[in-house]
Amino acid sequence: MITLSDFKYAIRLLSKKPGFTALTTLVMATGIGLSVYLLVFFNTALFKDLPFKDGNSLIHISGSFEGARENNQLSLHDFEEIRANLKGVKEFSAFSGSDINVAGRDGARRYQAVSIEPNFFHVTRTKPTLGREFAEYENKAGAENVVIIGYDVWQNQFGGSDTVIDQTMRINGVSHRVVGVMPEGYFFPDVAEIWLPMRENSSQIPRGKAGSYYGLGHIEDGVAKADLNRQLDVIMQRLEQEYPETNGGIGAYIDTLQMTSAEDGIAVVRSMQVTAILILILAAINVGNLLFSRAVERGKETAIRVALGAPRSRLISQMLWESVIICTVGGIVGLCVMAWGLEITGGVTSAFSYGRQAFWWSFSVDAYTVKLVVGFIVITILVTGLFPAWKNSGTDFNAVLRDGTRGAIGKKAGRLNRILVISEIFVSMTILIAAGVVVVASYNESHENNGANTDNILTASVLLPDAVYDTPQKQSQFIQTLQSRLENNDGVGDVMISTALPSTWTVRPTIAVEGQEYNEKDGQGYPRENYVGVTPGSLSKLDVELRDGRYFSSVDDGLDKTSVIVTDSFAAKYFPSVSPLGKRLRIVEFDDDTPKWLTIIGVVEHTVQGDEQKLGSVFRPLTQAPNKEVVIAMKMKAGSALATRTLRQTLKTINPDVPAYRIETYEDKLARFGGPMRFISSIFLIFASAAVVLAASGIYGVMSNTIAQRTQEIGVKQALGAQEQHIKREFMMIGFKQLLWGGVPGALAGSAMGFAMAQVFGLENTELFGIAALMITVIGSVVMTATYFPTRRALEMEPSAALRYE
Amino acid sequence: MSDTLIKLENVKKIFYTEDVETHALSDISLTINKGEYVSISGPSGCGKSTLLSLLGLLDTATEGRYQLSKHDVSDISKSERARIRNQEIGFIFQSFNLISDLDVEENVELPLTYRADLDKKQRQALVKDALTKVDMAHRAKHFPAQLSGGQQQRVAVARAIAGNPSILLADEPTGNLDSKNAEAVMALLDQLHSEGATICMVTHDPRSAENADRRIDVLDGRVVSDKTRSFSEAASA
Repeated sequence: MITLSDFKYAIRLLSKKPGFTALTTLVMATGIGLSVYLLVFFNTALFKDLPFKDGNSLIHISGSFEGARENNQLSLHDFEEIRANLKGVKEFSAFSGSDINVAGRDGARRYQAVSIEPNFFHVTRTKPTLGREFAEYENKAGAENVVIIGYDVWQNQFGGSDTVIDQTMRINGVSHRVVGVMPEGYFFPDVAEIWLPMRENSSQIPRGKAGSYYGLGHIEDGVAKADLNRQLDVIMQRLEQEYPETNGGIGAYIDTLQMTSAEDGIAVVRSMQVTAILILILAAINVGNLLFSRAVERGKETAIRVALGAPRSRLISQMLWESVIICTVGGIVGLCVMAWGLEITGGVTSAFSYGRQAFWWSFSVDAYTVKLVVGFIVITILVTGLFPAWKNSGTDFNAVLRDGTRGAIGKKAGRLNRILVISEIFVSMTILIAAGVVVVASYNESHENNGANTDNILTASVLLPDAVYDTPQKQSQFIQTLQSRLENNDGVGDVMISTALPSTWTVRPTIAVEGQEYNEKDGQGYPRENYVGVTPGSLSKLDVELRDGRYFSSVDDGLDKTSVIVTDSFAAKYFPSVSPLGKRLRIVEFDDDTPKWLTIIGVVEHTVQGDEQKLGSVFRPLTQAPNKEVVIAMKMKAGSALATRTLRQTLKTINPDVPAYRIETYEDKLARFGGPMRFISSIFLIFASAAVVLAASGIYGVMSNTIAQRTQEIGVKQALGAQEQHIKREFMMIGFKQLLWGGVPGALAGSAMGFAMAQVFGLENTELFGIAALMITVIGSVVMTATYFPTRRALEMEPSAALRYE
Repeated sequence: MSDTLIKLENVKKIFYTEDVETHALSDISLTINKGEYVSISGPSGCGKSTLLSLLGLLDTATEGRYQLSKHDVSDISKSERARIRNQEIGFIFQSFNLISDLDVEENVELPLTYRADLDKKQRQALVKDALTKVDMAHRAKHFPAQLSGGQQQRVAVARAIAGNPSILLADEPTGNLDSKNAEAVMALLDQLHSEGATICMVTHDPRSAENADRRIDVLDGRVVSDKTRSFSEAASA
């Protein structure tokens, strides 16, 4: 069917119109490149099997709260229940991540560590490069302190020494013997570099007092994740009924390790995947239309071939070759550009996290990419070539040769053209609304007032080791000493210490306001608000404005004191008509058996913490409720280098085993936090721009062709006395109807996608409506402009010329 | 005394392309009276279709004056030209030029829909009359593709006469028809002429030309002869 002569003929036709060939190839490269890029990005980040043997069956068990997949850890007791009752999963293993300090010759360094069970490495089918895995006896309370280290720790702390096994290292101030070194590149579960035995036994610890963990395992052949999640629902519901005081609202779910990082943002991921497919469809429609128009232009030539006895298969073959060449070359160009884009992406995403990013985030062209490109090339060949070729080769060529009425071909072509325009309007409208939501969300985030002055501030984190700072008194003493020594140093100005700076994530415990009723039995009735520990003076130094009452002062110092400051957003929510000063609240999750009521002594302006921009916050002095991990913010007097040196030297004087980490300016920290959103927004902007260009050029091309094919009809109507405005109105009405047919479903589909994303990004419905209205206006303008100008061009001809138009 | 419907004075039409100037018509002067049946003949490329386009206000002359119903229409606006085409002129084309998406009734009604002075009822009455005259009323709901060439041309004639124009301009009306259908269409034009219609027909078919009362021959853009049915010389350009 497909012959070399047809291929040569297609090459000749394409080379005769280099502009057309370049345009269609570019459109195809854009469509394939952009869509494959996004699909490969998400495949690498979320869907690809982990690079271990049996990585495809590895599953991750984590906790939900009130149905929301929050990737929480589960209590050890819950995990043991799951281990005992869940059918269809083998090789269970629990683990829990934590930050640790490791002492070294040049001072202490912070690492990401994981407490694991002995079978942990076997679950990932990876053995240590040196030494061994943990033995069962090492996982028991009171056993010798042992550690398995990562390749980089081995290189950095031990200079890659072959005799590292049995050497010791001080972790959080306690000596540990090295028993194994993991292979280079092994950072499981994401960025871990040090592994410690878990050493907790649920039979020896009462429920509610044990640590919390994630679970790992391998799903058995033929078992569906949905079945496992149904089983988990039953198990967790039973536990909730049996232990309402500890398990209220707590559930568990199974997913891949990679997907747990998506959490509830999966709606955005799915929307972006849909967008990727839509952009490919848009490109395919464009190229398909251009090729179809060319086929229609050559209708007479095709008719002559039919008259000369060409079989239909031969006609299709000849028309198909053009599409094969354009899509293949476009696909290869798209693949090359995409490979370059993936390379850049690795650099961009590495800036999202302070240290290394998840080990499987390795963006490059892989087998999946090649399969996707080949698949897309085949699909686009079928869409852009086979379908138009089939339609065109089935035309009544006798009628074409007779040319009895105007539009013997035009009528069929016109119907297909209308479908193409409507499809383009639908697809572009959907993409633009979805893109609009992301861009507006990104704009909101980058322009939000987080409530603090972030200028000229250096930030760093400090983690106090449990073994040394095992009481609140010791922790409070450390924090106060650090603050006073830093403030008395010439290297830095104001010093603010807190558990979280404005704009960054903080804990969101359940709270209760005195006098309000809650469903206390299962704990589900309590609202969650941001909770931030601060040293007195920090809020005023950060320029968080006082609205009522007073800031914290020395009178609030003391572990027995109970004062809090709330944001005006908190006050408006819980005390809409009365002053909150003197009112009491408690942090339910932090309470022991006896509720601890805290008195509101001040109200400050709203500060943003994490992604829920409108959530209120409760501030409590660290001198009342200290924390092991704190963030230090220092006004820089003479640059970040001096401030960093000052901080490190000060810490060394207090405790050389406590390092400062994540040292960066406040502005850099905010830029890093906003990185993922900016990245997604940039991707959507590129997609939106491509969609507008493709839609505008495509719709203009289709409308232009449609109107060109109807030029003789315009001439006939003019000959019959139609005024120009009659004809303009008629064609504008056709454009408008197509806008309605494509635009209304497109606006609905785009709004549905936008709505799902708006929930994740916290956009108001009014903003979504505004975006939809704007995009309808944009696409409407494109359609009406694309209709108006070709119509005007056709009307500029004398009727006699229009009648003769071929 | 004859009633002049069309008067051309020293009309020229020049087509310009990038580097070629084509004189399609040179110094054409002629008059057509009401009720006349005029044929314009000549070889291919002689300018007869261009002449018909100028007469039908489908194109404008490069030079010269054109009076239609004693009004100078040489320099009128596009909008006025469209109005005159709609109300004063009926066109019959060689390739019928029916709109394939419209049925017979809608095709005939099409020029009437451009007139503000006719309501739907009046338009339907005019369409029915016109289709009856051409014996196509029974095919009112058919689409052009469902008709033979002869039938399509009869519908085109119905469309041309539906608005009672002052003149019918026909461009090779039998050019796409077999002899039987061609004769039928010519008979139809004869009948319309006998009922008082003014007809101006471009044709290179001598038999069709013979149906006209007056025959104008064009060669190289000039009128080279103008004869009445007795073929005595009437006037020369």
